[in-house]
Amino acid sequence: MNINATLIAQALVFVVFVAICWKYVWPPIISIMEEREKRISDGLEAAKKADDSLEEAKLAFDKELNQAKSEAAGILEKANARASQIVGDASSKAEAEAEKIMTSASTTIENETNKAKEELRQQMSEIIIDTTQKILGDEISPEKHDAILKKAAEEL
Amino acid sequence: MASAYGVEHVVGAACKEPELTVTGYIQHHLTNLTLGKLPYESEVWTCNADSLVWDMPKVVPADTWTFAHGSSQAADMGFWALHVDSIGWSIFLGIVFITVFRFAIAKNTDTPTGLQNFVEMCVEFVNDNVQSIFTSAKNPLIGPLALTIMVWVFLMNLMDLVPVDFLPELAKAAGIEYFKVVPTTDPNITLGMALGVFILIIYYSITVKGLKNFVAELTLHPFGKWLMPVNFILEMVNFIAKPISLGLRLFGNLYAGEMIFILIALMLFFSSFAIGMMGFGLHLLWALFHILILALQSFIFMVLTIVYLAMAHETEDH
Repeated sequence: MNINATLIAQALVFVVFVAICWKYVWPPIISIMEEREKRISDGLEAAKKADDSLEEAKLAFDKELNQAKSEAAGILEKANARASQIVGDASSKAEAEAEKIMTSASTTIENETNKAKEELRQQMSEIIIDTTQKILGDEISPEKHDAILKKAAEEL
Repeated sequence: MASAYGVEHVVGAACKEPELTVTGYIQHHLTNLTLGKLPYESEVWTCNADSLVWDMPKVVPADTWTFAHGSSQAADMGFWALHVDSIGWSIFLGIVFITVFRFAIAKNTDTPTGLQNFVEMCVEFVNDNVQSIFTSAKNPLIGPLALTIMVWVFLMNLMDLVPVDFLPELAKAAGIEYFKVVPTTDPNITLGMALGVFILIIYYSITVKGLKNFVAELTLHPFGKWLMPVNFILEMVNFIAKPISLGLRLFGNLYAGEMIFILIALMLFFSSFAIGMMGFGLHLLWALFHILILALQSFIFMVLTIVYLAMAHETEDH
């Protein structure tokens, strides 16, 4: 257990190994570890960012979807309104047409009736005149009794 | 002529392997392979393996580089001697550390497995410790310094788990007389590292704090400026105690651990089979427990180094 020059030798060897470690061993290991650490934290950050943007996209998507839904609902409502309007228009037009047809038909009927009545009256008055002439002979002429006949026709 | 074994050598006399005694066994395990210069002429006796008689001793003249035979010769070599085994293992394990940590990350992948994972774990652990202690000041040297200390000291401690006789017996077969395997059971190694840390403490105290603050810290505490010499002595004790305690703590723990391994190994000296088996059991138990000490001591050495250097970076108000 002597203290001798081994002590100095060991001190020198110590310095040499520390220097080697300082220059060639420590820096590469530390840089590798730091670089990896940085990469991992960057990756985590990117993942967080991606998460955030996914959330944002989801929100935007929901918003768009809701808008589209409400738009669709609006369009549907409008279409319904339009359809019912069209149906309403059509039915009222048809009603009007039907009424018109009815009116013209009844007018025609009335006219025909009147015409028939007039003809009948005419024929009746001719028949009466004929009959009366036959009965009375030439006593009565159409010219003389026109006024009487007219009066009779009006009474009929 | 006395030798390391305490055996009389006579040229041509019958020789045999010296008998293994408990004291001799322990002493052998605690002696480093020391390279140095003896101030006196010494003789190296070798037992001729064929004829089993002592050969003529090889005479080593005074002041030549040689390996010490026995601890007394190692002590006689004085300061300028080198524990070749300690420093050799220390350098080898340092190279292991550098190589493993340098090439573990050569195939860098984002999903590290095995060695790369282990290396990154170590670096992260050290870095966390450094950053929790070094809060205000920043110094790019502290991280690598702490990593080197922790891993290197741990590897040196780890040699303690190699059964005590394996490598020394291998070395003996290769003709090496002494071979201590655990560098951290050599106070030269632990104090050598503590010395390195101490120099860094002084360097950063002067460059970061400034010489004036540093001197003030050593002289103006705790009694004010009128008792400067007393302050200086007190603070100096405090200051010197840092590296000494740092080195001796590691040495003491590992030396004691090694000693217990040696003592457990001694159980095989008893011829009883039962005690021998108990030795195996105890060896396993102590090895398991020792894993904790090995890791803990390397961690403590690292943390204290960081703390001392952090203190060297902090300026107190006076």
